[in-house]
Amino acid sequence: MFREFLIIALLTALGAAYSLVSGLAPLPWAEPELEAGEIRLIDARVLDVIWVDARSESEFADGHAPDALFYDQADPAGSMADILEQWLQEPRLIVVYCTDEGCGTSKKIAEELRVNLPDAEIYSLKGGWSAWLE
Amino acid sequence: MVGINARRFFGLIARLVLASVFISAALPKLKDPVAFAAAIDAYRTISGSWAMAAATVLPWLELIIAVGLLTPWLRRASAWIMALLLGLFIALHLSAWARGLNIDCGCFGESGSSPDYHWLILRNLALLLATVFILRIAQRNKNAPESTL
Repeated sequence: MFREFLIIALLTALGAAYSLVSGLAPLPWAEPELEAGEIRLIDARVLDVIWVDARSESEFADGHAPDALFYDQADPAGSMADILEQWLQEPRLIVVYCTDEGCGTSKKIAEELRVNLPDAEIYSLKGGWSAWLE
Repeated sequence: MVGINARRFFGLIARLVLASVFISAALPKLKDPVAFAAAIDAYRTISGSWAMAAATVLPWLELIIAVGLLTPWLRRASAWIMALLLGLFIALHLSAWARGLNIDCGCFGESGSSPDYHWLILRNLALLLATVFILRIAQRNKNAPESTL
């Protein structure tokens, strides 16, 4: 029966290799470093978080994270009030995202939130909305 | 003679049911291992790279043992691995239930719904019993000609 286990192990390894090569699963060594204040989508999705969308209104309308709050940069006070209201109702992690890896808006807004909500745990999403689409 | 035929018949049914359950569990997880890794993470036993590694390997293992169960050449090893996996899943569900975790089972890909632990554990117990039944038949047939589908 050892030969049977070996065949199953080899076939499983081949299958896993296929997943890595085809891009279905990320390569372990390709995993990007996290900066301070960032969170990966894989970690954020298992938690009950308040999503804050820092993209444009049209991008938000095209699609956004479940129950995400739109951060209107033309009305930062109003947007901050909405986030504060959500957080006070049920304090939980706040994750801000913008378009993609290169976008710095989510980090900026996360910093502003940390000033206004010092008791809250606030992160910016690594990879932004692009991470959702992958 | 009738007893042997009944055993073979129920053995075939058990193999078909187990194979179809494991194949339907494996396929959505093969398509989206990242989502499955998130579900594994929620059990708070392994996380990060380990969860991703498990999410990459486990669906393939499920698929291969499901198909292996239907072949005479890999049936016994597949049944053993299946029994071990089912035992592991039951232990994980019991652990999550005891810790009050609100998880997405991740059994058939991401469902997004809250788990019904009773149903999850009973279902896996039933599947485990079917696997043990197959192992017993395989043990009896060890020196006999292999049965075919």
